Amino acid sequence: MITIDKVSKHYGNFQVLTDCSTHVNKGEVVVVCGPSGSGKSTLIKCVNGLEPFQQGDIHVNGTSVGAPKTNLSKLRAHVGMVFQHFELFPHMTIRDNLGLAQIKVLKRDKDEAAEKGMYFLDRVGLKAHAHKFPGQLSGGQQQRVAIARALAMDPICMLFDEPTSALDPEMINEVLDVMTELAQEGMTMMCVTHEMGFAKRVAHRVIFMDHGKIVEDDSKEAFFANPRSERAQQFLAKILQH
Amino acid sequence: MEYQWNWGVFLLPSAVNDGTYLDWMFAGLKTTLALSLSAWVIALLVGAVVGVLRTAPHRGLSFAATAYVEMFRNIPLLVQLFFWYFVLPEMLPAAVGDAFKAMNPVAQQFIAAMVCLGFFTSARVAEQVRSGINALPRGQKNAGLALGLTLPQTYRHVMLPMAFRLVVPPLTSEFLNVFKNSAVCSTIGLLELAAQGRQLVDYTAQPYESFVAVTVAYLAINVVVMLLMRKTEALVRVPGYLGGK
Repeated sequence: MITIDKVSKHYGNFQVLTDCSTHVNKGEVVVVCGPSGSGKSTLIKCVNGLEPFQQGDIHVNGTSVGAPKTNLSKLRAHVGMVFQHFELFPHMTIRDNLGLAQIKVLKRDKDEAAEKGMYFLDRVGLKAHAHKFPGQLSGGQQQRVAIARALAMDPICMLFDEPTSALDPEMINEVLDVMTELAQEGMTMMCVTHEMGFAKRVAHRVIFMDHGKIVEDDSKEAFFANPRSERAQQFLAKILQH
Repeated sequence: MEYQWNWGVFLLPSAVNDGTYLDWMFAGLKTTLALSLSAWVIALLVGAVVGVLRTAPHRGLSFAATAYVEMFRNIPLLVQLFFWYFVLPEMLPAAVGDAFKAMNPVAQQFIAAMVCLGFFTSARVAEQVRSGINALPRGQKNAGLALGLTLPQTYRHVMLPMAFRLVVPPLTSEFLNVFKNSAVCSTIGLLELAAQGRQLVDYTAQPYESFVAVTVAYLAINVVVMLLMRKTEALVRVPGYLGGK
């Protein structure tokens, strides 16, 4: 589904990603973790072309992200993305947040978009809030809306960029629950997250990054039981202590 | 010699017998309003486009937009006005220049003044729009793009609606400035409010009354503009965001 092949990226002299290669199979849940500044957010943003990269290529469902002639908008329309800061559109009601891209990108008519939106809003348990504005919802609720907004586009895979990092601790679980459910339904997911509990429960594979390199890329059992690199061992020791 | 106040001066028939002096003032007020409002429309339209281009991820476009803004912002309004009115008609192709010069002089003055004030203000509006766009969280653009919207669609539906809301207060002062700057256009002979006031002085020797009336008229315009913009601000307020409920 997603193939990342020897991707490197730099800002000027600063190397952000070095020779990253991995893949996400259909129906697979891959968690990307690592210390801050390790390039994990940058890597996931390269997958749908939000961040350009200088070397290597990424293919999503067979389409090259790096090729200049690729219609990135078309590709992104079917790759759902959830951001750290939710990024709902504050001037639109929840209903319109879910409808906008369905109508403008997928050319669905208004009623169809509204119906689809309501279906996913119901799935994340927020049907009653459809008429509200994002600013009137809690962080956890906003993030669930953001997930519903991505799902309403019928994505072939979902990218999560630290979806719970900006949330109060008590709201993290409501978001993780939605993600877990999604994973169990067989959605292909690539998740940048520090939630190791989520990784243990849901992930198939774990990728560990450090200094712009993929240091570990292993099944979750192998990763948690016996990380090969010293850096990952340190990371796990620190993060699992509490 | 003591100054002879005479507020009745406005009701006297004018020296050229085309109504009262009060009619002169209203004629000036009408010109000021027509000039400023049409210039404001130009400023908003052009300013929005230029402001967007300044943030565009394209070197050539953003450079052109920056050059535009710096040019119109850094040349005094008076110089620009003289350029539009005196110089440009000579530089245009003869047919166009002559057609302009063949127009009724009032129309010539009005068009030159409107274009000048419109473009001058558009550079300032562009800066406000740009700062509004830059004030948005960076992720908003990514969120729009990630949903498959094109960049223009993202600007249109995601970024600009919020950017414009953010800059309503600074745009209010630009809107006020258009009316105040329009007084400069009296220098090319356009009989707007300030010019009518001065003409009244020439004809009646009652400067205090005349300039009090002009001042009150400008104040009244600005009060209306302020109320209008405050109303606008309240109207576009987003619930749960930036002071909205």
